[in-house]
Amino acid sequence: MLILDLVVQEWKKSYRAQGFYKNLAVSLLLGFFTLYMAAILLFIGFSLNEILEKADNTLNPMELFNGAMLYIMLMGLIIRFAMQQLNTFNLPPYQVLPIKRSLLINFLLLKPLTNPINYFLLLVVVPFAIKSVVGYYSVGVALRFVLSFVFLIWFNSLTGAYIKRKYGSSLLSFLLIILAFAGIVALEYFKVFSLFNISKSFYGFIVLNPYGLLVALLMVAVAFMLNKWFFSQNFYPEKFNSKIKSDKTVTRDLSFLNRFGVIGELIGLELKLILRHKRTKSILYMSGFFLFYGLLFYTNKAYAHNSGMLFFVAMFMTGLLMLMFGQWIISWDSSHFDSLMTKNIPIRTYLNANYYLLLAFNVICFVLTTPYFFFGMKIVYMHLTAFIFNAGVNIFLLLFFATYNTRKLDLSKSSAMNYQGTTYKNFLIVLPLMFLPMIIVGVLTSLASIAVALWTLATLGALGILFRNQLITLCVNQFNRRKYIMAEGFREGE
Amino acid sequence: MIQVSNLQKAYNGVTVLNIPDMTIPQGESFGLVGNNGAGKTTFFRLILDLIEPTQGEVKIDDQLVMRNDAWKTSTGSFLDEGFLIDFLTTEEYFKFVGKLHNKTDGDIALFLDSMKDFFNDEILGSKKLIRDFSKGNQKKIGIAAALIGDPKILILDEPFTALDPSSQIRLKRFLTDLQTRFNMTMLISSHDLNHITEVCKRIVVLEKGNVVKDLQTGDDTLNELEAYFAV
Repeated sequence: MLILDLVVQEWKKSYRAQGFYKNLAVSLLLGFFTLYMAAILLFIGFSLNEILEKADNTLNPMELFNGAMLYIMLMGLIIRFAMQQLNTFNLPPYQVLPIKRSLLINFLLLKPLTNPINYFLLLVVVPFAIKSVVGYYSVGVALRFVLSFVFLIWFNSLTGAYIKRKYGSSLLSFLLIILAFAGIVALEYFKVFSLFNISKSFYGFIVLNPYGLLVALLMVAVAFMLNKWFFSQNFYPEKFNSKIKSDKTVTRDLSFLNRFGVIGELIGLELKLILRHKRTKSILYMSGFFLFYGLLFYTNKAYAHNSGMLFFVAMFMTGLLMLMFGQWIISWDSSHFDSLMTKNIPIRTYLNANYYLLLAFNVICFVLTTPYFFFGMKIVYMHLTAFIFNAGVNIFLLLFFATYNTRKLDLSKSSAMNYQGTTYKNFLIVLPLMFLPMIIVGVLTSLASIAVALWTLATLGALGILFRNQLITLCVNQFNRRKYIMAEGFREGE
Repeated sequence: MIQVSNLQKAYNGVTVLNIPDMTIPQGESFGLVGNNGAGKTTFFRLILDLIEPTQGEVKIDDQLVMRNDAWKTSTGSFLDEGFLIDFLTTEEYFKFVGKLHNKTDGDIALFLDSMKDFFNDEILGSKKLIRDFSKGNQKKIGIAAALIGDPKILILDEPFTALDPSSQIRLKRFLTDLQTRFNMTMLISSHDLNHITEVCKRIVVLEKGNVVKDLQTGDDTLNELEAYFAV
């Protein structure tokens, strides 16, 4: 059975990848996270009927759900566009073997459908179908309802892959899609055009009409044929790769960094590294979204008196880029670490460059989050303190503990759901960095006052900034101690 | 120039390199040959302070290389692709390395001009990233970058592999030229006995981490080496 061989070889590829076993701690952590998410989704699934019954509307829960179907489809496409990794089944070694090409393509297209992550939302849909649809309609309708959702997942997976293969994933196309989606939502809100009503009648037909499911299946078939057609046009890897590789080198002018000497050169190098790799670029985009994270907390009454939590958010907001990139600092140089170690760069200069880069990130984020000051003086004080603490304490913690990341980092893959090179150490470092200050603020606020808490952390941060040179020396010594272990780890590859 | 004393490197108790004593004087062209696993790259990595010796030390200009930055100003090296910064374009990369050695843009342009022959019009002037170049051209880029800071010591690991025949001949001529004009100290490893005996005045043969031959290149060095490696 040829197809079985292919499946087995794909499976071997994943578990023979180096670091599959080494990363047990991370796998366990992710496992727990997955279970937690699953539990939440199940809970939503079981309570969705009650929630929708309370809605101020004459429609029954399934009609409401059907109205949301097309929105779910669009959201799914957007998320897939941003996050889904294209199946990286490596064609060339198989192309030269006597294997039918349609078999290869079918395998390439259909394999992603077996990924359980696609079916995560069924944890909501199935309980809802059992509790609500069976009650309002019948078992048969409930079954069709679930099936229509499965077809929607297939349609999305295939269409998402097609769009991504055909148009690549540039920031511009992503922004255009987001804008279009926002437009649809706005039209709905102002009652100009209702996708909800279209969705309700369309999916109402699919679920209730005996032949309705055929329409959904037809959609899947069309998406599948589109993909097949794309591959018939682009079977040769050279053509195909040039399609994916949409990133042309834009040599940005970073000459303003020249006046800072070697440190400026090194910072320029790191900026180019960020802009020219998929993984770092997607971290950058993601950070853009996270800038709005504060809105969730600062507007929420429940957190108004939880100073610890608020400070946690303040630190996250003002240190966003530092935290997102800082956990990879030094190890993102892994592929050219030998180069940096043998070129005329003193270690102190190298670490200083990284320090200034992180500091610049801090300043940028602090400035970008100043609009939050409209939420009151408390937020102003919190952000200021968080900024000083990040710049004086956390920055050095990151530099110091970065030397324990000895895994080579593959920057060519998108960062979403990408845990390559992640070890338990990445999670360990977050504890002193984020949770300790949060606890300090929480405890000091309840013992004394919020002012005492903030002043304490601000003083710590100021001391760190004051003793910058000594702390850098500490990091340099640590770096020199760990240098050989790092160099060896980075050479090993994954 | 380079002084090695009692140098040992062991992995899990297995000694992979053991050089009790060796001096490489200024201006010497030092060739290193040996089968795979003989310890050539390990030796170079120890000199470049990329791995920690189990025992012993390496000194460059009477200064220990370990955890020291001083030797980096006078040493140029290229061992493998890890010595390149592959997401830069070639011009950006040369400029970056040049700036580390306090070169002005004019200096760098002059240097690149002198490499024109070696580059054979394939390296400069395209917006291609280094990672998109072929192995052979990446090697040329790495060798050129090692030379940009006017090093007193040049360390190259198998510089002839992956180069096309013309480039191999050019590189040989180029290396000989560097020796005569700048009295540059060179450490070169190679699997090609012809090339190495042509370029180097001294040939050291490593086997399982030990120095088994240390020859001054003469008329029958090539024959001696061929006899040694014959199976």
